[in-house]
Amino acid sequence: MSPNSKTRIRRFSPVQRLFHLLLILCFMTQATTGLARMYIETVWGQRLAWVFGGYTPSRTIHIYVGIFMLCIFALHVLYMLSKVNWRKFPGSLFGPDSMLPQPRDLKESIQHFGWLLGMAKAPRFERWGYWEKFDYIGVCWGMCLLGATGLLLAYPLVASRIMPGWGLNVAFWVHKIEAILAMGHVFIIHFFIAHLRPHAFPMDRSMFEGSVDLAATHHEKPDWVARLEETGKLESVLVPEAPGWRRAFHYVFGYCAVALGIFLLIGALVNSLSITW
Amino acid sequence: MLSEVTNMLSSWLGRKKLLIGLALILMMTGLLGPAWAEEVRSTRYRYGEREVSTGYYEEYEVKPILYLPGGPLMRKGIPLESAPTEPIRWRTYLTDTHLGIRDYKRHHDCTDCHPQQGRDRHTVRAGITCDQCHGREPISGINHYWSPLSPIRRHAYICAKCHEGASVSYAEYAVHEPIPAMLSTRQTFPFLFFAFWMMATVAGGTFVVFLPHTALWGIRELLIMKKDRAESESKQQD
Repeated sequence: MSPNSKTRIRRFSPVQRLFHLLLILCFMTQATTGLARMYIETVWGQRLAWVFGGYTPSRTIHIYVGIFMLCIFALHVLYMLSKVNWRKFPGSLFGPDSMLPQPRDLKESIQHFGWLLGMAKAPRFERWGYWEKFDYIGVCWGMCLLGATGLLLAYPLVASRIMPGWGLNVAFWVHKIEAILAMGHVFIIHFFIAHLRPHAFPMDRSMFEGSVDLAATHHEKPDWVARLEETGKLESVLVPEAPGWRRAFHYVFGYCAVALGIFLLIGALVNSLSITW
Repeated sequence: MLSEVTNMLSSWLGRKKLLIGLALILMMTGLLGPAWAEEVRSTRYRYGEREVSTGYYEEYEVKPILYLPGGPLMRKGIPLESAPTEPIRWRTYLTDTHLGIRDYKRHHDCTDCHPQQGRDRHTVRAGITCDQCHGREPISGINHYWSPLSPIRRHAYICAKCHEGASVSYAEYAVHEPIPAMLSTRQTFPFLFFAFWMMATVAGGTFVVFLPHTALWGIRELLIMKKDRAESESKQQD
């Protein structure tokens, strides 16, 4: 097979990949600085904080990267709004390329659970699986919740002018539990499904390269490929494999993120009994 | 005369813009309220918006709470957790909150008797000692009229030492917050209790569904790969 043969389907645009790249960088920074402060009573937490210059600089970085993340999220919302077909609104929100949950997703998730237990045939997924939509909506929900509570905690004097001071106690716990949920979901569930499960192993490069392998997609998302074939769009979305040096870079970057995530997860679990909750 | 009034009314009714303008003025007047309505707004709003750490108030604002049988919490309609703790609660109103406690002088560490109070973020993370907020002996009760920790001046005398510009609202932050998961927190801090359990349910529910889902997915794909490999090997042998 020649290196220029088109064996992959374009799945993500460069803008979408840029959003994901920024999300990875910001999320990892937030996870590390957040855990450094949460675990500051332990040696592990102190070493994490040392990387950023100590407890106070970790807090400063956490706040400013958080604000940057909120700006990126606001840009993403504008980007998504620009992608809506307003002439066919609201029907356009529920097409096969939409990330919004639809009745089909519920049906597919039940059937997929049946397949996992060996009791049903594998569902014929479209462009987005229910777990991918859950991940995406989870990020949006997390950004709103973590962003709002984070701003309240970052600027408590201003926050206490619009709500009673005890609201900060509530905001702190909401922020903490949501952060634990986000880290647990990304470091265990997202990393495993996207990179470590046998079908995706050694790595699903689609979010870095922007394309997925055609043969693998035939197997995993058959309805999407069938729709592209029926509408005659398949040829137009086929792209060649990325050059070797880029693939190598994607592997190194992706596995650095996975390794950091697993390091944070294990460190947090091991030291969880040594901190004041 | 009547016809003039009728004509004037009909001409006014014909002017839609004028009517909309009048309606808007009436609505705005109703929303803003008269000047005296400011006085009946909540004290939290007033302190939060206007007052920052002066520590000086009008007499009616800082009047001490009078003791009435049943304790101040009972008087507000909040049920006490148990009768034996009631005298201890009253201690928060004493000049010397440890007055009359046997062997009090033998204890050197506050957390000997108040272990939970040493497990907050001010103590653990910022290294704040008890006497930095509660003062030295005799330690006055936090609700005592002259105590620096009295709710009427806590923000100015204590919080503002580190948090410049602290307001009354800010001082409502619970430094010694109860453990949010405990059932007793439902009585003392219901917002925290319900927020904690709501978030814990969301997080727990996500993991309960997706952790087995992820593990099963991995196992299923491993089994399929193993089966495919066995089939391809048998084909090669044939």
